[in-house]
Amino acid sequence: MITQNELIKYFLLEAEDHINTLIEGIEDLEIKGYTKETLESLFRATHTLKGSASIVKLDKISLLSHKLEDLFEAILNEEIKYDNSLNRVIKNVINLISLYINEVSTNEAEKTELNQDIINLLDNILEKKEAVIEQPEVVTFEALPIVNTVRVDIRAIDNILTLLGEILVQKNAITDKEKELEEIIEGISHSGKRLINEINAFSDRYWLVTQDKHQKITDSFFTDFSDLEFDRYDEYHIFLRKIQEITNDITEAINSLFSYSEHLSYNFKSFSREIGYLKDNLIEMRMIPISRLLHRLSESIKDIAKDTGKKVQIEINGSEIKIDRPIYDAIYEPLFHILRNALNHGIESPEERIQKGKSEIGSITIEVKKEGKNIVINIKDDGRGINITKVKERAIQKGLLTADQAPFVSKEELFSFIFTPGFSTADNVDLLKGRGMGLDIVKTEISKLKGTVEVFSEIDQGTIFTIKIPQSLSISNLIIFKSYELEFAIPLSYIEEVLTLEDFPDIKRERKISHKDRNIPVKFFHELFFSANGKNLEKGYIIVFNFSGMRKGLVVEEILGYEEATIHPLGKFLAGLTQYLGYFISGKGTLRYVVDPLKIFEEEFLFISPEIIQVSTVSAGKVLIVDDSISVRKSLQSLLESKHLKVYAAKDGLEALNILEEKNVDLIITDLEMPVMHGYEFITRVRKDPRFNDIPIVVLTSRGTKRHEQKAIAAGADGYIIKPFDEVTISEILSKFEIVKEQI
Amino acid sequence: MSEEIKQEAERSYCVFGIGDREFLVPKETVIQILDITKIFPIPGSPDYVVGALPVRGKIVPAIDLAKVYNIERINYSNNKLLVIDIDGEQVGFLSDITPFFVSFDADIVVEDYIDPKKLFEELKVSSQKNTLNKKE
Repeated sequence: MITQNELIKYFLLEAEDHINTLIEGIEDLEIKGYTKETLESLFRATHTLKGSASIVKLDKISLLSHKLEDLFEAILNEEIKYDNSLNRVIKNVINLISLYINEVSTNEAEKTELNQDIINLLDNILEKKEAVIEQPEVVTFEALPIVNTVRVDIRAIDNILTLLGEILVQKNAITDKEKELEEIIEGISHSGKRLINEINAFSDRYWLVTQDKHQKITDSFFTDFSDLEFDRYDEYHIFLRKIQEITNDITEAINSLFSYSEHLSYNFKSFSREIGYLKDNLIEMRMIPISRLLHRLSESIKDIAKDTGKKVQIEINGSEIKIDRPIYDAIYEPLFHILRNALNHGIESPEERIQKGKSEIGSITIEVKKEGKNIVINIKDDGRGINITKVKERAIQKGLLTADQAPFVSKEELFSFIFTPGFSTADNVDLLKGRGMGLDIVKTEISKLKGTVEVFSEIDQGTIFTIKIPQSLSISNLIIFKSYELEFAIPLSYIEEVLTLEDFPDIKRERKISHKDRNIPVKFFHELFFSANGKNLEKGYIIVFNFSGMRKGLVVEEILGYEEATIHPLGKFLAGLTQYLGYFISGKGTLRYVVDPLKIFEEEFLFISPEIIQVSTVSAGKVLIVDDSISVRKSLQSLLESKHLKVYAAKDGLEALNILEEKNVDLIITDLEMPVMHGYEFITRVRKDPRFNDIPIVVLTSRGTKRHEQKAIAAGADGYIIKPFDEVTISEILSKFEIVKEQI
Repeated sequence: MSEEIKQEAERSYCVFGIGDREFLVPKETVIQILDITKIFPIPGSPDYVVGALPVRGKIVPAIDLAKVYNIERINYSNNKLLVIDIDGEQVGFLSDITPFFVSFDADIVVEDYIDPKKLFEELKVSSQKNTLNKKE
């Protein structure tokens, strides 16, 4: 919860503005005389000042502003005729307000007793509806308290941030260069050591070897000495000695190079850290505590509550957290929407609440948390909640999912349907108690901020909306990956986790993964962006996204790392390439395209897949034949097709499981002996899967013994036919499992 | 005096070439002529967009008019990029020759003249041309 002190701090910031407006206005009045615009701006300033002062319980400032406001209003309404003599009174009041603001700034309270005279004077003017003319007295404005702030155009900060972005690029370049330098030094040092060792070994071995005594010494240094002093040292020895000396020098130099490089790395590390701080500070400078927004919201909601006769208590946690200015501006509407929904459709009337054994006063909690570089806002109410059964019915009705799929869709995925455009319609208001109204807009707005929104609800327990948005929009955190020698980036904010491809061997065929009890559909980046379908990936990563509860996977070949960067738009010429959010240039000068993950999975967000609709309109029974013998498959297929059935054929259990994934099947006829996956295992697998465990399975085999039949029945088979089969047996089976309807 | 009139009556163009064709753009739209060092292809863009070239922290899309006008290319070497400005947006045209400037009398109708604005609008990558979307 925000403290009174903090609120006062914001009030002071704001008050400074209003006082300035007032002073400017009065000066305008004095110089230019009465104009409606000036008076309107004066009126607005006093009005806001009154309101703000009353929130922080500064009653005197509030009262004085209130009186001024009345005066300005009266003048505006032409109840009081404006006269220059009024200026003196107005100036006095403004000075008095300034005095109190000064006191609040130093003592956090209004100390001086309010001079009743001035109030009386104002009341007098307001009552008599005429300006009181007294002897003119020159009044000058007193200096306002100095709140140590400077107002800066947000663009100025943005410019600095852009420059900082360039510095970050340079920094990244230096980081790369630093590694190169380390390698070079490592190399030199290694060669240096070898040189020293070689020379030392060499001189140790040959030091005592005498060279030809008659060789003439030519070095000027030594010619100054008599030959006697050098009896054992000929030119060879001198050379050796010199080499050794040079080697020692080199060793020294290498050592100092080493320590130099260490220092440099150290300096560079702190330099990087400082740049990091600088960036954080700058971003923070651009940010405003979310508290102001939340208080504004909660006031509006409380107002609405009064109108609707509901009782509600709003609790705010974590309001000290700061968010980026553009986010601040953009998040108001979506939050207001959710809050209003929570009040209108979530919170019950006091009577209903008492009936349900709840407290008469409903509660809405707004909780703001920082999670890494993201801000998480939870809006929780203890109202009636969303009826998931109705969501399901509605989703089926809207064709968003089929009745068959419905039981296997996770709760959170079902709830995410309420963000679908037009999910709740006017003729069906009762369905979600109106909650679906406009929630698609909420989601769109939040998506624009690169954020996500999820909802969870329990009947009569309440509903919780979780909004996740990046803390800053100007610098993005990105994952860098490589595909076909090009580098791409993807915003971290949507990414839930990254998995390795090796752990999911069937991904290529299945196009989905099972992870943490979820079936996550996946797409392959190189197929989408390079149309390279044939490429066989052996190594790679699966980036798992969480789009407001919908999880999707994207397979990429190589992940290069994580980076922070400013994303630039592609420009008008390339703006049609909507799969990219923009680009940035790496420290090495490589262009990196920033991919918009939402676009990749866009068509899936439309929810309606034409295939599903088709399947649900075709009513003919569907039979899956699993047999490794093509002649059995073909003969059985023609027999079944003559009965107007749709037939899928598979030559082993594995193939059959894949068909089951994609198609709806009403009956399975399977052999027992098959390659890859035999019949027993196939039956067991089908029975284990909750989606398929009610599909009848009939075994068609040449194994006539009771033992096999029992084993198959134990595994989960519903029928047992011994080959060769005939039409009568098959027809019996079909009618037993109600696959063939009589009218067909 | 007469010279001044003559100058006013002249228009300057920049000439660049693809294969055996030459094209002209107004001189005042030309920003710079670059040596093509490294072009980064943009997956999903139409085939006439060869890629993007990073220039001082910004990118310039490189357009190959050979693909637009179906011109046969003899050699790919010595590629230059003629960067022009169209209402604050920069685009580059591949040129097989080093572009040069010429002036003609204003009343001469110049053949193979390119109206940069028109071409920009024509070639601008729209979402329909976007292959990623088309495929889906």
